[in-house]
Amino acid sequence: MGNRLAESILLLGFVGIGATLYLAFLKAPSVSINAFESPDAQRIFYWHVPAAWAAFIAFGILFVGSGLWFFNRSALGWRMHVAGAEAGLATGLMTIWSGMVWGSAEWGVPWDWTDVRLNTFGLLTFLALFLVLGRQAQPDGVETRDTFSTFGLFGFVLVPVTYVATRLWQIRHPGPVVGGGESGSLNGEMAVILFIGAISFTIFIIGHVLMSMRITSLEQRLESLQEAMDKV
Amino acid sequence: MSDVFLSLKDVSVRRGSSLVLKNLNLQVETGQVVLLNEKNGSGKSTIIEAAAGLLPIETGEILHHGDLLLDHNGRSRRPQTAFGLTLQSDGCIGSLRVEEHIYNALDLSGGRIEIDSWLRRYNLAHRRHDLIAHLSGGQRRKVAMLAGILPGFVGSKPRILLLDEPAAGLDEVSRRNLIEDLSTLQERGNAILLASHHADFIASATHIFEENELIVNELRTQTTTKQDEIKNEDGRGNVVLRTSIALNQRTLSTLANNGIAGLLTLGIVLALVDASAVESNLIQASGLYLSAAFAAGLVGDTMISMLHEHRALDWWKAHRQGIPHSYLHAFVIGMGVTALTQLGFDSELSWVLTLIGGLLTAATMAILRTMELATSRLARPRAAFVRILTPVLILPFALLVQWITDSNLL
Repeated sequence: MGNRLAESILLLGFVGIGATLYLAFLKAPSVSINAFESPDAQRIFYWHVPAAWAAFIAFGILFVGSGLWFFNRSALGWRMHVAGAEAGLATGLMTIWSGMVWGSAEWGVPWDWTDVRLNTFGLLTFLALFLVLGRQAQPDGVETRDTFSTFGLFGFVLVPVTYVATRLWQIRHPGPVVGGGESGSLNGEMAVILFIGAISFTIFIIGHVLMSMRITSLEQRLESLQEAMDKV
Repeated sequence: MSDVFLSLKDVSVRRGSSLVLKNLNLQVETGQVVLLNEKNGSGKSTIIEAAAGLLPIETGEILHHGDLLLDHNGRSRRPQTAFGLTLQSDGCIGSLRVEEHIYNALDLSGGRIEIDSWLRRYNLAHRRHDLIAHLSGGQRRKVAMLAGILPGFVGSKPRILLLDEPAAGLDEVSRRNLIEDLSTLQERGNAILLASHHADFIASATHIFEENELIVNELRTQTTTKQDEIKNEDGRGNVVLRTSIALNQRTLSTLANNGIAGLLTLGIVLALVDASAVESNLIQASGLYLSAAFAAGLVGDTMISMLHEHRALDWWKAHRQGIPHSYLHAFVIGMGVTALTQLGFDSELSWVLTLIGGLLTAATMAILRTMELATSRLARPRAAFVRILTPVLILPFALLVQWITDSNLL
């Protein structure tokens, strides 16, 4: 039963994300046609914002894991690093993809090089891609773990920069929808759907991380068994 | 001054997933030749590399001449007295000439001796001006070995010599010569740590290190050598800069990689952008004028690829006196392509912008080089995908362009 916990949580997350999509496209109220160039495209925000929220959780896990490995040589820390990078890549790509769809409809361009939040978030996703691809290309060992956890620690600097970017340099990206004062307030129904989305993505990211940590743990066990067999 | 030259105190080293050295204690005193001759996989090379400060250590500390070289907290100092080093993988850059590598080793140790007789002794005199890449494996090993032992003949002050399998691939005559030279080096007071499988070296070792214990070698046979007077002269400075310039001029690697990237970008920009439209938009103009310099820098430092040959990067890192680079050439190329871009757009040549172009190429290259050096400890550094991180440079580039526009530099 314990072995199925990660799968169950992941499945629950998927169901929640499916429900969020259903509510976003079929039940959420339409926005004012005067406030947006492309009001219908705004519905993607019920996917985009929770995905970004989940990405920040994943990058947080990556940072904590990197620190635990780098300073304490904790095996759990390394598993968190691997899981955080993989989950960060998955949710980062979800966020970027949905943002580009919205940008195309609303701004007329999928990407704006002058928008700080867009670019720092893109860099975070590139960091996750670097960590995932780089780790897969290297044999596991202290050198690999030290190097990638160092990048994980330095890369985390981008998280607070990304978070405050729309407060300091609001160019095109909308300001914060939560905790952003009156300008960021939502109507009740919108807030409920967004909340369901955030909870669903949080459950999804927890399931993803648990699953990834279990896979890494099994990989490590397999490797130690292989090493023991090499010595026979 | 203490007689202990090299000291490894309670040193543990992990490589891959195994703890190769566990709480190792070893001291090498002046006039000692300590031989490591245990079987394969026992950690001989790890001891040599740890003694050179090349490997991070999990516990303990490493001292050279009583001063800290490296400890388990990562504190690292440049040794007051340079040491001689022969790595198992040679540590030579293929594009350097034989004499250049040996002179580099001597200059890094602070002095020079006449090398003709040494090259003749090891049958390398006729190869003195050849590129190391053109040598056979055995000849390259002789060059690496000479770079490790000759610092022991420089000046009157004895030093530490770390030699990892110096005789691997050497013919019998050269091996005999090396045994004699080790005796001479020992008589001069050098402290030698030697890893070798060859049984011949038991004759020259004063001590053998086995199973964490230093044992006096009863089988040692003193070889008396006739030692000619060695003429010493001052070492030449700027070893790193000299090597950087020599390598770049010989291989044209910065021009062939960074320069071509800059010129291609320049060609594309000139082909696609209407010059008359640029004049009216200052921010677009500054960005365009600098784009070729930025592209040239994004190629990174091609010197790093050369340094990955035969672990030359580790050899340079161990000496802690700098690592060859291509900054100077990158700066010139950056200035060149920025000037050409301005002229290509029929714009008045701005020397300030040209200078900024040079600095931009060198700075961009420096950031990429730092990223590549940060991954050099990996088992497969070239498969680390650091280029994925290069988009991090776009924002600083945009800010630079904005600053140039706001400062009315155009």
